[in-house]
Amino acid sequence: MTLLSVRDLSVTLETPEGPAPILEDVGFDLAAGGSLGLVGESGCGKSMTALAVMGLLPERAVATGEIVFEGRNLLALPEGALCKLRGRRLAMVFQEPMTALNPVKTIGAQVAEGLRWHLGLGRGEAEARAVRLLDRVGLPRPRFAPGLYPHQLSGGQRQRVVIAMALACDPALLIADEPTTALDVTSQAAILDLLAEVAAEAGLALLLITHDLAVVWQNTRSMIVMYAGRVVERGGTHEVFARMAHPYSRGLFAASPGALDAVLPPGRRLAAIPGLVPDPLHRPAGCVFAGRCPRAAADCLPAQPAERRLAPGHAVACLHPHLEATPA
Amino acid sequence: MPGDIGPGEALAPAWREYWMRGRSSAGVVIGLAVTTLLVAVALVSLVWTPYQVDVMDIPVKLQAPSAAHWLGTDQFGRDVLSRLMAGAVNSIAVSLVAVGIGAGLGVPLGALAAARRGIIEEVVMRFNDFTFAFPALLSAVMITAILGPGAVNSIIAIGIFNIPVFARLTRGASLSLWQRDFVLAARVAGKGRTRITAEHILPNIASLLIVQMTIQFALAILAEAGLSYLGLGTQPPAPSWGKMLNEAQTLMYMAPQLAIFPGLAIMGTVLGLNLLGDGLRDLLDPRLRRLR
Repeated sequence: MTLLSVRDLSVTLETPEGPAPILEDVGFDLAAGGSLGLVGESGCGKSMTALAVMGLLPERAVATGEIVFEGRNLLALPEGALCKLRGRRLAMVFQEPMTALNPVKTIGAQVAEGLRWHLGLGRGEAEARAVRLLDRVGLPRPRFAPGLYPHQLSGGQRQRVVIAMALACDPALLIADEPTTALDVTSQAAILDLLAEVAAEAGLALLLITHDLAVVWQNTRSMIVMYAGRVVERGGTHEVFARMAHPYSRGLFAASPGALDAVLPPGRRLAAIPGLVPDPLHRPAGCVFAGRCPRAAADCLPAQPAERRLAPGHAVACLHPHLEATPA
Repeated sequence: MPGDIGPGEALAPAWREYWMRGRSSAGVVIGLAVTTLLVAVALVSLVWTPYQVDVMDIPVKLQAPSAAHWLGTDQFGRDVLSRLMAGAVNSIAVSLVAVGIGAGLGVPLGALAAARRGIIEEVVMRFNDFTFAFPALLSAVMITAILGPGAVNSIIAIGIFNIPVFARLTRGASLSLWQRDFVLAARVAGKGRTRITAEHILPNIASLLIVQMTIQFALAILAEAGLSYLGLGTQPPAPSWGKMLNEAQTLMYMAPQLAIFPGLAIMGTVLGLNLLGDGLRDLLDPRLRRLR
């Protein structure tokens, strides 16, 4: 069953120099209990997509299209109805655990807040649940008393508190926006394992936003690759990794260090994609990646290529995709 | 259960630490001592003063300090110490209510401006600028001149010029907090602007407001004395430090102690409150608190 369905989502930001398109015709489906990786480089619109789903776009942003969640179009809902969904059915984990917690409130109180507000629990019951949640995310008493303040915890521990807050009201969808980017490598692995574990356990859908292909590989069943506000490739994670079709996906893959070393030959040099992401104010008429693409040809320039299906559940928006398997 | 720590229990060490750190700062100790003394004297005067405050005793007028009258007597033979003690109640009451008005209206206005932005913020802040454009005491004089002299009107006047101080402070501090991730996290958790203001913004600026209240309290005492000195504040025969200074003025050469003691009381109180405010600012600074 489809839990979240994003259709033709376009977001335009009003700037002093004119309207800047941030997202263009983004669409994807996420099944209940499913997992989707959203990957791309900085500024490609990943976080904007997450904020659009949460209904927290900046005030200067105009969104068109549809974001259907549990049968309701979130873009058409009034703020009051959105407030009731946020934290209750929709939850989010942020990139920066160091600043995502209120410095003057105890972690127990911050976890309990959502329970009291959304579920109407009494103080005692909410605090008892908060203690259980903290224990669930790996912060057991008495070492991690609910009376601790955020500054008494490390980054990884704070991210666990943020996850506990997100899980508190048993949401249907968890959006994790670069949840491990600000953490050291060992905490990264632990936090990702925890996210996957609690998502599976609670049967909640995970929308995992990252620039790290290894994170997508390990944690999601399907993925989309975004570039300059557009979806350039989509499919099952295994299918996409096996036959990366878009030149940008391949470039991203060749530029990935770290955890992918296991599947790469030793001594491989990381490749960089030449050039820069086009400025949203001056995007080319044709393929947005053409300016940096090694396979670009004359027919890439007049119009944005439409998505074409390569295999069941694998599509690419490219006129000259790689059709051979991804080189190891 | 041994080793069982409930929520909130970690608070205790924080207060103990404030106390330990506070004790090592001379400013806080002196400020706290002076303020406590002032409040204690005011409270005592409600039930007991050495002599009756308003009863004249012409035969003993204009006496120098002695064993019977520790701080001497005024031109009507009233005991200066008794009047100073009763004047402290007046100063505290006027300042407390005035700062209460200033913070009670200024803080919500500033918080509203920061939460809503746009046209509401413009209106609130331009109104603030308008009030700020007049020197505080001058506008207080103007207000009491319009409303008529008296303690209540001086409270209103001092309260009004305290509003923009708190509105500005609250807005400025709130604006930067609204940009922080934990506020976005609170919005993600489904909280509206009012709830976020109450639960996340105000607790984070509480220490700032406490410090500002201490300093405004000192300024309000000074303003009340100023208004009473000009005859616009507390009306005779009710005792007031400013009024006592005013009455002492013509007798400066005959009985300088009449001007010196109220002057010292005002100066000591303002100095003590300022020291306390400065000390609290250091003590409550979250950057220092983080070092724990």
